[in-house]
Amino acid sequence: MKTKIRLSDISFSYGNKLIFKQINAEFAEHCITAIVGPSGQGKSTLLTIINRLWEDIPATNLHGKIEVWLNGTNGTPQDIYDSAYPADSLRRKVGMLFQTPNPLPMSIYRNVAFPLKLAGIKDRELVDHKVKTALRQAFLWKEVKDRLDDNALILSGGQQQRLCIARALIMEPEVLLLDEPTSSLDSRACKVIEELLLTLQQQCTIVMVSHYLDQVKRVADTTWQLEDGRLTRI
Amino acid sequence: MTRARLIERALLLAATVSGLSTVSIFVFMVILGLPILTAGHFSELLTGPWSPDHGVYGIRSMIVGSLTISFLSLLFAFPLSLGTSVLIAVLAPRGVALAMKRLVRFMTAIPTVVYGFVGIFLLVPIIRELFVHGSGMSILTAALLLAILISPTMILIFVDSFERVPRSYLTAVAALGGSRIDKLIHVILPCSWPGIVTGLVLALGRAMGDTMISLMVAGNSVGLPQSILDSSRTLTGHIGLIISADFDSLEFKALFACGLLLYLMTSIMVVIIRSLHFRAGVRGW
Repeated sequence: MKTKIRLSDISFSYGNKLIFKQINAEFAEHCITAIVGPSGQGKSTLLTIINRLWEDIPATNLHGKIEVWLNGTNGTPQDIYDSAYPADSLRRKVGMLFQTPNPLPMSIYRNVAFPLKLAGIKDRELVDHKVKTALRQAFLWKEVKDRLDDNALILSGGQQQRLCIARALIMEPEVLLLDEPTSSLDSRACKVIEELLLTLQQQCTIVMVSHYLDQVKRVADTTWQLEDGRLTRI
Repeated sequence: MTRARLIERALLLAATVSGLSTVSIFVFMVILGLPILTAGHFSELLTGPWSPDHGVYGIRSMIVGSLTISFLSLLFAFPLSLGTSVLIAVLAPRGVALAMKRLVRFMTAIPTVVYGFVGIFLLVPIIRELFVHGSGMSILTAALLLAILISPTMILIFVDSFERVPRSYLTAVAALGGSRIDKLIHVILPCSWPGIVTGLVLALGRAMGDTMISLMVAGNSVGLPQSILDSSRTLTGHIGLIISADFDSLEFKALFACGLLLYLMTSIMVVIIRSLHFRAGVRGW
């Protein structure tokens, strides 16, 4: 199986505390990789070093190399911490979903179209088409198609999380990072998201942090455990 | 009585006292200004010139002076404050932002008379030489100085409302590849405009109510100003000047009309802006 992401000798510290010690790992393309382990071990942080989101946090320090095999680069991996490689390009290819759904305080439509706005895409028809496609892929279209102009914050928790998935999918990302995406949802909403993840595997590589071992068993292809700053495959 | 109940009562009492004092000031001014209001000269008072030697006590020039100086100062101060607060809350590195915030906080504590003093020795000569027009004491001079006076309040309110935008929104924008400018334009500014309106209202109130600066650098001429380079007198400055010289003349009685007018102008403006604010708030964005 082709490797999509490779972590080489990753060490990460926050203040004086060493969070990761020389982590080495490879995550395969079009697979769902789960990261499990006790709380407070830095599982979420591990995700943010793949999209460089940790860089906004003060007093942090990262050593090591992360390569992602992006489409259309003839098999040469991209070093994502290469100083010539901008974080915003990376984040358009590597989407992220958080524990608590975080739609922006605007309409459903504008939420999904937001990444296109950031990318400067203005063609009305194209945006309409992409919003519709993304909402369909996120299993949300049927529930919201008649109220696209409603505020996104009135949706239920599960719907908000699927809205965030649609928002991440609209840029057609190659990797999706999921930080306990179902932890704030009830079991029914959780089941819908799990089914969704299995279909998304066709188009993305998924790295997911999860607390629920039964969930991991249901969806993950490979599982890694993070404990005491070390990542081991189980 | 439980402690919570006691605190509730105490707070209610405090709110009632402060609310009632505002109302009582209004009632007090209406009663004292009543002789002038009922004599049927009120419209003359508002539109006439100030010429006590001829028995005319109109305050038209002061109304114009107050309005132009305060709105002009708001015009200068708003972009300045918005820029500074964006720098503090969004763009500047942590250390610089903190230092700037402290400086701005310190500025709120400087007495207005100090600004006036600095204005007379620094700003007035510059304006005089720059425009070669009159003494250098003008509407423009007062507005510039007032802009500096009202900016810190506005900046602190703006910064506060920027910092209250939920972090999860900012993280969402960052994770989607948005820059700090994107966060500012698409999330921070739209989310915090109620705070921006509040800052504007308070700053306008402060500019309109300030006495010392206009008294010291606006020139206090009673003529109707023709341009912003003309000397002018504000309602507040007028009250200050007359009160310091007199206490029982007709001039003095006309002051209550000034006070009443200032009160009404500020209240009406606050009500208008608040109601706009309220309506928009209900509609959402």
